[in-house]
This record gives sequence, structure tokens and C-alpha cells, in this order.
Amino acid sequence: MLNINPFREGVKAALPIVLGYLPVGMAFGLLARQSGLTPIEAGSMSLLVYAGASQFLAIDMISKSISWFPIVVTTFFINLRHLLMSSALSLHFKEYGLRTLTFLSAQLTDESFAVAMSNPSKISNRPSYLFGLQITSQIGWIVGSVSGALFGKWVDHKEYGIPFALSSLFICLLVLQINSIHHLWVMVIAGIASVFFKWVFPGNWYLLLTALFASGIGITIEMVMRDQK
Amino acid sequence: MRISVLILILGMGLVTFLPRFLPMAFLTRWAIPERVKMGLGYIPISILSAIVFPILFFNVEGEIEIQAHALLSAIPIFIFAWKVKSLWGSVILGMLVYWGLGFFF
Repeated sequence: MLNINPFREGVKAALPIVLGYLPVGMAFGLLARQSGLTPIEAGSMSLLVYAGASQFLAIDMISKSISWFPIVVTTFFINLRHLLMSSALSLHFKEYGLRTLTFLSAQLTDESFAVAMSNPSKISNRPSYLFGLQITSQIGWIVGSVSGALFGKWVDHKEYGIPFALSSLFICLLVLQINSIHHLWVMVIAGIASVFFKWVFPGNWYLLLTALFASGIGITIEMVMRDQK
Repeated sequence: MRISVLILILGMGLVTFLPRFLPMAFLTRWAIPERVKMGLGYIPISILSAIVFPILFFNVEGEIEIQAHALLSAIPIFIFAWKVKSLWGSVILGMLVYWGLGFFF
């Protein structure tokens, strides 16, 4: 059942994400239109797939006349990183029915995950909060996509610092995660590792590799510190 | 909607849904070892670092190259986020700083 107060809190927490999703969604809608998709098709993709990076890549592949199968395979690999986010979130939701878990997991994105994790006490066993956060974000993404497909050619997406909106959101969310000296070290190591992995490996593998490597380092640091005490 | 596009969207939707759903469905029902829990606690900061740092060191073609415009914009946001801890403020300040610096790049 939906609890209205945590739901509202979740909606509010999503607003900075919406600010970032609207222009990026519009850019997606515009490009989707240019690659031959209709506004309804662009909107359906944002409704049923809801994964920014793979949607942009799909559009790029569609415009190169690549068939659906390689696009789906690529999408799968890009979005494997959600395995780790979903695992981290699962610690906060015990004993909920599959229907609730289906709704919560279907709308998981990098941004909503990061906002949820910036204050874990808000999400722990409060599915309504997470639902409010995620549904609001996705509505922002869908509205952006459809309006971009309809009116995108009259808006300049490269102006007014729009390209940096989501980057700023991520920087702030990263800073909010630094709540101990261990986390600071993990950030430094993950930062170096991500640049190295992206440089060496193709595609989006660096995200998954960095997450596994750096959280492994996190465990090691914590174990060593604990043994010293 | 064209049937070929529908197949594409449903296929993409399915392969995106599974990695989002499966851990949530199973791990909430299993007992998680302490060390794995500890590791999962570092997933948010690891993934966020892996999203943020490459923005500063790779160009849009994915080649390694210092992004002076993004780097100079990121530093004040980093400090602001550290002091004020406001998502809204960071996004708006980030856009303003990036836009302002745009006149020099």
C-alpha cells in the first residue's frame, strides 16, 4: 500500500533529478526524431526501457540501420551495472512482496539510486518514498523525451550550462557519499581505476569493473583497519 | 507504432529490467554474508566516482584528454556540495558556472 507522506518526500527528493532529466530527455527526443522514430515511439522507449545511455546508443545504432538484435545485446551489457545497484538497494527492503519489488526495481536508474543512497535512513523499509522518488524522475524523463521529439528543434540543448546539469548532480551525490576516511580513499582509488578501465576497455565495462574493484578495496581497507584496533 | 520498433523496445525493456529486478527479488530473501554487505556499502561511492571522473578526463569521442571546461566547473561544485550539501544548489550553480566559463572556451 502507498503511504502518502513518504511518497511526497520521495517526490520532493526527485526534483533535482527532474531538472537534469528534462533537458537530457529533450535531447534524446530530438535525436530519436532525427533518427526516424515518432514521438510516440520515443516516449514508449522512455516508458518501457528508461535507461539514458542505452537509449542514446540505440538511437545512434538505429540511424546507422543496425537491426534490433545487436541493439538489445548492447543494451543488456550497458545496463548490467544495475545488478550492483539493485543488490545494494536490496539490503534496505526485507520481506516485501514481489509486486512491490517489481515496481521498485523497474525504475532504478543511476540518478535515483544515488539520491536514494544519499540518505539511506529515508529508504529503509519505506517503499513509498523510493516509489515517489522514482516515478517522479521517470515522469520527468518521459515528458522530456516526448516534448523533445515534438518541439526539440526550437530549443538549444548546448546552451545555458545544460550539458553540465547532470554532471553537477552526480558530483554533489558523490560528495554526499564521502562520510568516512575509508570512503574518501575508495573515491580516490575508484576515480583512478575508472579512468584507467575506460581507457583500456571498450564500451561501458569500466563502470562495472570499477564498482567491483573499488568496493573490494573498500572491504580490504575496512578489514585492515578493524584488525589494527 | 511500427512492429519492428515495438520488438526493439520490448527487447531493450526486458534486458534492462532483469538486472534491475533479479538481485532485488532474490537478495531480499537470502541471508547476506557480512563481508558482502560491507562491499555493497561501497557500491554507491564506487559507481558515482566511475561516473564523475571520466567526465573530466575523456572527450565526447571517448578519447583520453583533460576536459578543462568540465574540470574548472567541477571544482567549485565539489567545494559547494561539500559545504552546503544541496542537490538543487549544486545543479543550478553547476549550470551557471559551466555556462559562464563557456565564454572562455
